[in-house]
Amino acid sequence: MTQLIGILEEGFIYAIMALGVYITYKILDFPDLSVDSTFPMGAAITASAILAGMNPVLTLFLSFAAGALAGCVTGLIHVKLKVRDLLSGIIVMTALYSINLRIAGGRANVPIFSQQTIFENGFLDARIPSALAPYTIVIILFLITLVCKVLLDLYLKTRSGYLLRAVGDNEVLVTSLAKDKGLVKIVGLAIANGFAALAGCIYCQQKGFFEISVGTGTMVIGLANVIIGIQLLKRFSFIRSTTAVIVGSIVYKACVSLAITHGMTFGLEANDLKLITAVLFLLILVISRDRRKKVKAHA
Amino acid sequence: MKKAMMTLMMAAAAATLLAGCSSSEGGNAAGTTAAASADTAAGAAEGSYTIGIGQYAAHGSLDNCREGFLEGLAEEGFVEGENLTVLYENAQADGSIASQIATNFASQKVDLLCGIATPMAQSAYGVGRRNDIPVIYTAVTDPVAAELANADGTPVGEVTGTSDKLPVEEQLEMIRAILPDAKTIGILYTTSEVNSISTIEEYKAAAPDYGFEIVETGISTTADVPLAADALLGQVDCLSNLTDNTVVASLPVILDKANALGIPVFGSEIEQVRIGCVASMGLDYIELGRQTGRMAAAILSGEKKASEMNYEIIEEASFYGNTAAAEALGITLPEELTASAAELFTEIAAE
Repeated sequence: MTQLIGILEEGFIYAIMALGVYITYKILDFPDLSVDSTFPMGAAITASAILAGMNPVLTLFLSFAAGALAGCVTGLIHVKLKVRDLLSGIIVMTALYSINLRIAGGRANVPIFSQQTIFENGFLDARIPSALAPYTIVIILFLITLVCKVLLDLYLKTRSGYLLRAVGDNEVLVTSLAKDKGLVKIVGLAIANGFAALAGCIYCQQKGFFEISVGTGTMVIGLANVIIGIQLLKRFSFIRSTTAVIVGSIVYKACVSLAITHGMTFGLEANDLKLITAVLFLLILVISRDRRKKVKAHA
Repeated sequence: MKKAMMTLMMAAAAATLLAGCSSSEGGNAAGTTAAASADTAAGAAEGSYTIGIGQYAAHGSLDNCREGFLEGLAEEGFVEGENLTVLYENAQADGSIASQIATNFASQKVDLLCGIATPMAQSAYGVGRRNDIPVIYTAVTDPVAAELANADGTPVGEVTGTSDKLPVEEQLEMIRAILPDAKTIGILYTTSEVNSISTIEEYKAAAPDYGFEIVETGISTTADVPLAADALLGQVDCLSNLTDNTVVASLPVILDKANALGIPVFGSEIEQVRIGCVASMGLDYIELGRQTGRMAAAILSGEKKASEMNYEIIEEASFYGNTAAAEALGITLPEELTASAAELFTEIAAE
């Protein structure tokens, strides 16, 4: 049970970030590496802001805004300075590493164990019945993730949201509608990185500390979440992609968790953890690929 | 095709289930035999215990910590495979894995969490405090900065352990004794490691007393090491290492470049001297681990609570020298140091 809760907690946090990666990778077809640094940026801002006495709930918005700003920079570098997509992400990622250290006051590791967070504060303690206490974190995370998902779904149905999808599918169409496709891309990147920073903010509050290295591999995790989720739930066409991304994120964390728990039982060493995780992903992807092949054969 | 797929999924599910069963059976079996043997043998520890050891990265010093930790537990009657089940995982320097490892240990209802190196220790405490599992840490340079201990050394909760704070003054004194004419000491460190940043501050504060000037170069990843080492070696008379995980892992590259220029490199602990650093006033991580293991034993046996024990540091720094490395650079290690050496290597070990 505790293991399941753990998987859900981790899964929800990374699902928020994966929603962002879904926008850039799946909708805009933009491999955005800046999330590797906007995730820890959210964490750095949160740790510093909370230590400065800011309300933990406000840090959620602050992180999102800062992440969106960083996303805009990636977009501007790509659109205005005509730098290739992958490279503009790398530039922002590299620059933010130093900026993140500055935000955190020159420290690579800022603990906030003794501070109030969105998960631990007087307001909650007074209202959550003790029977529910072990599930407080997972419930809050579920609610935040749900709000993010619903907001993104609603946004994608607005005019701006449709344009966003159009840019990914057919840039020429957007230009022919007399819309600036560059601007649309910038907006997409801003939202995506806002989500990444928001996830970082929540991560920091749940773990109780900021650590500069948490961002390493964020984009890879996000990509895996998006691909696993969408592949896995492909046949259920009534399920929205955003829901699939959240499911993918939980499945990803479940794989890592299984690898940690059962890796040793198969006579594998602790150092084989990443290999086991990789094998589990491959298995999932192969299983869902078979499904697609079959459909094609029948068509 | 569909059937084949289903079979595959079923097989996978079955395998997972089986694995789950076999692991818990294994645990129980070990537990019962352990209880029996504990009764007949020393009887120091009754019953059976499970602990989860999370190690942040794989390198010599941290591996030694873990080894020592288990030895320390064994000295107090908690023997792995008898009355102690040890779950061990390595986060491979990945912060998100570190916290998941801690969560997993908690779900397996361990009696104690052990975090090796700062990020792992914090992850363990983050999980432990929510699940009422005591946490013990080792190889945390500054437990106060990591908020694992209060400024007066008392724990912030059910968490305690040992610090691997470097004996900076002793190291500077040793470098002065070996290189009477040296003026500048170069230090390579990773900007993301808090341990290194606080130690550099100490180096800078103490260096003038010994007539040294510190030149430091920060790197962010392993890939930066060769370039940074080249740049730094051009400005200094010798290098001194910290316990910086990234730099220590790339030590062979640095040694290679330094030796080519005839610049001595001083280590921060025994493993570094073994593979070719000239000398070090350092910690014995096995001993550090052992000390931590004894503290863990006190918690497991219920003798003391983690919150009742202040974190500990190793008081004595010992001298480690490598005569082969020194000779290659035309340096003789002073008699007064070698006489009291904890260990002298006469060859450079290939890692």
